[in-house]
Amino acid sequence: MLKISELSARVAGKEILKGINLEVRAGEVHAIMGPNGSGKSTLAQVLAGREDYEVTGGSVTFEGRDLLALSAEERARAGLFLAFQYPVEIPGVNNVYLLKAALNAKRKAAGEPEVDAYEFLALVKQKMKLMQMSEAFLTRGVNEGFSGGEKKRNEVLQMLVLEPKLAILDETDSGLDIDALKVVSMGVNSLRDPARAVVLVTHYQRLLDYIVPDKVHVLSGGRILKSGDRSLALELERRGYDWVKESRVA
Amino acid sequence: MTPRQHSPAATKSAALRSFEAQWLAREPDPLTALREEAMQRFLRLGLPTPRDESWRYTNLRHLAAQSFVDAARTPAGYLEPTDSLGLSSIAERAATVLMVNGYPVLPASMDLSVNGIEISSLRELSRSDSRLLARYLQPLSDADEARRGLLNTALFADGIFLKVKTQVTAPLVILHVATAEGPDTVAYPRLIIEASPGSNATIIEHHVQSGDETPLCNSATHIALKREAQIEHYRVFATGPASKHIDSLDIRQERGSRCSQFTIALGGGLVRASLRAQLSEPGACLDSYSLLVGHEERHVDCVNIATHGAPDTRSRQTARSIASGTSRVIFNSKVVVEAGAVRAESQQSCRGLLLSPAAEIDSRPQLEIRADEVKCAHGATTGRLDPDMLFYRLSRGLDRDTAQSLLIYAFLADVLTGMSVPSARAAIENALIAQLPDSQVLQKFR
Repeated sequence: MLKISELSARVAGKEILKGINLEVRAGEVHAIMGPNGSGKSTLAQVLAGREDYEVTGGSVTFEGRDLLALSAEERARAGLFLAFQYPVEIPGVNNVYLLKAALNAKRKAAGEPEVDAYEFLALVKQKMKLMQMSEAFLTRGVNEGFSGGEKKRNEVLQMLVLEPKLAILDETDSGLDIDALKVVSMGVNSLRDPARAVVLVTHYQRLLDYIVPDKVHVLSGGRILKSGDRSLALELERRGYDWVKESRVA
Repeated sequence: MTPRQHSPAATKSAALRSFEAQWLAREPDPLTALREEAMQRFLRLGLPTPRDESWRYTNLRHLAAQSFVDAARTPAGYLEPTDSLGLSSIAERAATVLMVNGYPVLPASMDLSVNGIEISSLRELSRSDSRLLARYLQPLSDADEARRGLLNTALFADGIFLKVKTQVTAPLVILHVATAEGPDTVAYPRLIIEASPGSNATIIEHHVQSGDETPLCNSATHIALKREAQIEHYRVFATGPASKHIDSLDIRQERGSRCSQFTIALGGGLVRASLRAQLSEPGACLDSYSLLVGHEERHVDCVNIATHGAPDTRSRQTARSIASGTSRVIFNSKVVVEAGAVRAESQQSCRGLLLSPAAEIDSRPQLEIRADEVKCAHGATTGRLDPDMLFYRLSRGLDRDTAQSLLIYAFLADVLTGMSVPSARAAIENALIAQLPDSQVLQKFR
């Protein structure tokens, strides 16, 4: 589904990604772990199409298409979703209408008719229930006055409604208490499906107790230093990131 | 009658000479002595120039070379205002009083009253109760931001006096229509609002134009809030791109009164809007909101001065400026806390959004504090659309135009949410959104 080859990227003139190779197949869940400043969030943003992040080399294909040739909005409509580490507040703009507009943009690109208003509301309410969000969120501005945890739930809610083929979650677990973490994990797990894939970007092993990944990668200094199965995450937890860096040098 | 003396013509610009000629042609009325003084002061001070502090960013040089004559009272063929920026939905719900080039179009009856607001013509009032009128035309001020107000005081031929007597729920719209048959005309609309103690009303001044040409509009409004009175006042500038408008608003507030003021610049080629508020008794409270939209080559200059002259007074100024094309938007705000105005509180929040590289926004919040124990906060920021916000929307699949419009709309939300009249808010939002890219889509997001 997603194939990244020798991807390099620069942010504000600084080389952050230095040749990433990664392949994610349909049905898989990958976890990308790594210390602060390793390039995890940059990778997520580059994949979602952030313009001010400059790709300097390599290629990315998404379902056989050249992903890097698409704009951010085209990527979203093609089925890629990024759950933001820091969701942005947009006061005065209705949260749910915006979600509806996003869904309709995607449907339009797929040649489908606009979603029926009542069906949409029923769908959102059902997903909100799953995310244990109060209906008050229906009428509020986008992330306006939301707590950190509420913003993260709102990201997962958007993901559940948009049903992306590939979901990238950028530190969605950070700042969540254990109850919220369970709710968010349940939301992500409900999307697991042989036709979809999930990439989790995270600092901590804790999230992987709830969303069990098929593969774990360690990103450090702009490169993937080590890949493995779930046991790699457990080992990292025990031995720290320095262990990966050292073992590579050795 | 006071003798009329004039300084040598050689030193005067064409505009100044033409204003003087207008003055000389005016019929004497019971206010002549006061008007004479205003005119003499204006002639002595001359047209404001960028050397005057509050005119730093607006140069009227091009007007100085013009000779102006009075705009017609009832131009031939006049009937329908071109209400292109559509606040019509307000008019449907509220009573509307029409003013054409500053002349009220009122029924013959003199004791007109609409929903608890008495409406009279200033021309009539200057004959029947000139003392009342004189009270609201004074004190005359030489301050440069009041300069154009002096000219209006000298030359306004008619206007409207509103007396708010009770708690009035339906808004009253003053629809100012500017229209001209030729170039080089000038109009002097004048409005005086007196809010009786404990009264409450919403007054909307809506400036539109009819036809292709407009007079130079030199308008002035005075709002007097008696004890515990509450007024929500709007001035909406929505004339065409060639029009020039200089508006002076004076607000005087007594004990415990509350004024919410909205200055909305959606149209006009040159809009200069000043606001001077005197919080002269304890507990007076002013909330001023400015929503200034610069488009194409438009020039919008807004000057706010709030003077705290008594203890426990409060003022809050919220300005949101947007500039695109080669437009320029200026927001100058000043808070003065006079000696003795202890426990005064003020806030100034000025934010600007630049939508094109050639546009310019100048925000200058200033403070002058001469009392202790006051709380004054101010902040000014100007920038482009936040790329994080934009990316967030794009990453959900929204069109770029829609995403940008949404962010612009969100930027203005602080001003819009201050409006307590839903129909006014809806109409202003509609007019605003109509100017943004992808406006039809945007309508649905509210």
